Amino acid sequence: MSADATNLPTTKAAVEDVGQIPQWQLMVRRFRRSRLSVIGLYVLIVLYVIMIFSDFLAPYDHNKLDSNYAWAPPAKIAIVDGQLVTFKLKQTLDEVRFEWFYTADETQPLPIQFFVKGYEYRFLGLIPMDIHLFGVEEGYQINLIGADKDGKDVLSRLLKGSQVSLTLGFIGVLISVIIGSVIGTASGYFGGAIDNLIQRLIELLRSFPDVPLFLALAAALPPGVKVEVRFFLITLIIALIQWTGLAREVRGKVLSYRNNDYTAAAVAAGASHWHIITRHLIPNAMSHIVVVGTLAIPGAIGSETALSFLGLGILPPAVSWGVMLRDAQTVEAITSYPWMLLPVGVLIVTVFSFYLLGDGIRDAVDPYA
Amino acid sequence: MTNSHTATSHDDVVRVEDLKVSFYTDLGVVRALNGVSFNIPRGKVLGIVGESGCGKSITGLSIMQLVHSAGRNEGGRILFREFADGDAVNILEYERNSAEMRGIRGNNISMIFQEPMSSLNPCYTVGNQIEEAILLHQTQDATEASKRAIDILTKVGMPNPARIASSYPHELSGGMRQRAMIAMALSCTPTLLIADEPTTALDVTTEANILELMRKMQEEIGTSIMFITHNMGVVAQICDEVAVMYLGRIVERASVDDIFYEPKHPYTISLLQSIPRLGRSRGRLASIEGSVPDPYSRVSGCPFHPRCPVAIQGVCDSEVPEETVVDAAKGHTVRCHLYT
Amino acid sequence: MLNYIIRRLVNMTVLIVIVSFVGFFIIQLPPGSILDVQLTKMRERGGDISREQVAALRARYGIDDPFSVRYLKWITRSLQGDFGTSYETDQSVGERIWNRLGFSVGLSSFALLFTWLVSIPIGVYSATHRYTVPDYIITAIQFIGLAIPGFLLALVLLIIATNLNAIEVGKLFSDQYVDAPWSFAKFIDLASHVYIAVIVLAVGATAGLTRIMRANLLDVLNMQYIQTARAKGLDEAVVIWKHAVRNAIQPLVMALGSLLPALIVGETLVATVLSIPTIGPMYLTALRIQDMYLAGTILVILSFLLLIGNLIGDLLLAWVDPRVRYE
Repeated sequence: MSADATNLPTTKAAVEDVGQIPQWQLMVRRFRRSRLSVIGLYVLIVLYVIMIFSDFLAPYDHNKLDSNYAWAPPAKIAIVDGQLVTFKLKQTLDEVRFEWFYTADETQPLPIQFFVKGYEYRFLGLIPMDIHLFGVEEGYQINLIGADKDGKDVLSRLLKGSQVSLTLGFIGVLISVIIGSVIGTASGYFGGAIDNLIQRLIELLRSFPDVPLFLALAAALPPGVKVEVRFFLITLIIALIQWTGLAREVRGKVLSYRNNDYTAAAVAAGASHWHIITRHLIPNAMSHIVVVGTLAIPGAIGSETALSFLGLGILPPAVSWGVMLRDAQTVEAITSYPWMLLPVGVLIVTVFSFYLLGDGIRDAVDPYA
Repeated sequence: MTNSHTATSHDDVVRVEDLKVSFYTDLGVVRALNGVSFNIPRGKVLGIVGESGCGKSITGLSIMQLVHSAGRNEGGRILFREFADGDAVNILEYERNSAEMRGIRGNNISMIFQEPMSSLNPCYTVGNQIEEAILLHQTQDATEASKRAIDILTKVGMPNPARIASSYPHELSGGMRQRAMIAMALSCTPTLLIADEPTTALDVTTEANILELMRKMQEEIGTSIMFITHNMGVVAQICDEVAVMYLGRIVERASVDDIFYEPKHPYTISLLQSIPRLGRSRGRLASIEGSVPDPYSRVSGCPFHPRCPVAIQGVCDSEVPEETVVDAAKGHTVRCHLYT
Repeated sequence: MLNYIIRRLVNMTVLIVIVSFVGFFIIQLPPGSILDVQLTKMRERGGDISREQVAALRARYGIDDPFSVRYLKWITRSLQGDFGTSYETDQSVGERIWNRLGFSVGLSSFALLFTWLVSIPIGVYSATHRYTVPDYIITAIQFIGLAIPGFLLALVLLIIATNLNAIEVGKLFSDQYVDAPWSFAKFIDLASHVYIAVIVLAVGATAGLTRIMRANLLDVLNMQYIQTARAKGLDEAVVIWKHAVRNAIQPLVMALGSLLPALIVGETLVATVLSIPTIGPMYLTALRIQDMYLAGTILVILSFLLLIGNLIGDLLLAWVDPRVRYE
């Protein structure tokens, strides 16, 4: 008889024993296969690292006024005599359009210094420092991305604004995830009257359209509060509007797991409520929670940005990307000073990356979804 | 290449020759069918028996060309001879979604599945779904189709067929749904009915009723049946001939009596021994040593040799046994080195 | 089926009542606003106000009455169409809202029509042709629609359109059409002012629905009854459209039912960014100047719309899914 194609030596050793790999590792593997999601993850890591070092990277305080630099364009950089330099700006008034325009005076180079002393800040909110990555001689400014109508450096504002924009939404979602998970779990697990009550409450909350509701809540905040307090309150508003969605999803998952055989087995073995919830239900729902949470972040960032953009969220003198958008919402900005629109691009990149990340996690966690 | 020898009847409604199907997945290749050959005699019930994962369902699906798109056909023929005096066609030559293949499905060859609870579309009435098949293959007249649907529902013993026809699937019990499925499958009087574990999800009483129904239909309409199951008890009740499958190969084929009283292949013998029997003295349940190997691996030689109690060292682990005829007159064949 | 409808109606009515309660509470928050507003206005017009007049106003607005009485008075007035007078202008709230609401509904309906027509076929195509180039393109557009908040997208498009001089901002109609009777030309003029809003709304809604359709269809295609349908010899297209889509579409139908109010709400931010005079910007201004009568009333009306939309969605679902009718 001829050699059968299937008559090969046993390849069992060569094939990995798929059964031995822990669940989360399989998830990580599946995640890595989606290249877009991995890119999203890396981009976010970069963004958050920049955010942590934002004060260090920003050359100027975000509210530093300098009318000599109003609407200054992005600084021109060159290498002169082996040194990295920018140039002093000559400010001239355009009589026709009544605008300032700038020319870089190439005869007056301004060397760029590194690790300069600048405004004071607290690294990570704790350590007082005043070193900044780069800067120029006292009395002049280097605006890598240009300046706004008061001469405030856009790069510095962008960096400082990241502290708000990247954290507020994140924390808001975190809070709503916690609230939503707890309530959803309680509702699904205990059922009966508790479940009914909570469901009715959620239904009522969801009867109000979310956008008008958070606009109303934000508008109700007194304008005189301190920046940190306002930050916290806006976070709270976003969290309070969002938790209902997650609570419903968690409840659904808990309901389906509660009726599972392994839960029944745990009950039969005498496990306590707490044990069942923490050891069986939550770990299973966790992956779903992470997905929903991650995908909720773009919405939360969008909400904060929208509120600030409308003047109801973060208010000056604080800065977030939404506040910067508000400054940019003029015809002049759009046509003559395009660097003011950079926050739009940054926002889109951030939001997109979160979405790619969330999508990748979702596929990794439940490939059959 | 191997041929199936059946001395009892050269009139087979379906003859599968050396069918090979593989699935290419991210984690490796699964060789679901490794050269499956058997025949289904006209007018008889052939049982396909085996453990989970041996490939029995894939075999049935292959005949209907309904295997999941990840599965690839890598050789073999499936010959279908609709009429005893007609020609045989190789089903695999038709494209999956071609008019010819669709003309065969539901019309000449029908299939019913394991889960009656989810086999019917919840959005349409039972009658509507049966009429769909009739309108597709038999007549364009809606009233006529409706009449035939009620006819076939009556034939399968449904109480109040007209009311059933206008009911939705979720209004019926599991047993009734399976009856409805059978009615739908037989509505166009097919030459062959493939039943993929149709009673596994039913309780024993309902199961008995369904099996009796299938026997009755088979006699009345003359359909041949390919009955896929893992339950030897069911085999005894309904099958005329039996083919035993293991890891994508047929290891023994015989009449139902011979399988029970004169099993030759060690796997068949082990299967029969592991059936708990009433009245036996209490001892340990006999089970087959080891377990079915993981689908991604390939086993050299005879696929059963790692678990075979009488495996011959040096022979069984290196060479695939050929098919040998044990009793040509009764169509008993086996693939085992003990008999080569 | 009737049972189901009745239960849903009762549920909705209860919610509407509670919502109106909450809405009224919001309206009443700023202390004494309504009476003060009226009095200030009357004083501005000159002359004193007699004590009887003040008393009459107090009675009318129920200033001294307990909350529940004030609420009842407000409800009875509102149901007669009298929503009170706006803080900003002297127009009645009802009148001001009515004008803008019409445009909001119109705008959202544009977007709705588009979404209805597009999301189902695209969703089905996307599910049945996975991993092909068109699927990737569809997925990319979906991403944009889902990931980028609507108002941001509106901003981006506005920037592009302004730089290309392709849009006139701040109006719904060019000057020559403002008071003109409706005609096709006027319609086109309207479209040329609001197309960005329509695009943004439609992209956002379509992206979400297409995704749902795709996911549902993929789920349904794994079901046994699809295999049964194929086993009957049906053509693959029939299997997909008659059997699979019919099942997959159910959650979508619910979403479509509540889509109109959702769009109206969604255009709040978009319209503000694009300076289109619809309900959204009016609501925002009302909030800013603390015109609670206007703001609160709008909030309540939007909530009603949302609830009615959900009800329609539920009814549509019952029509489409026979299993629901028996709950």
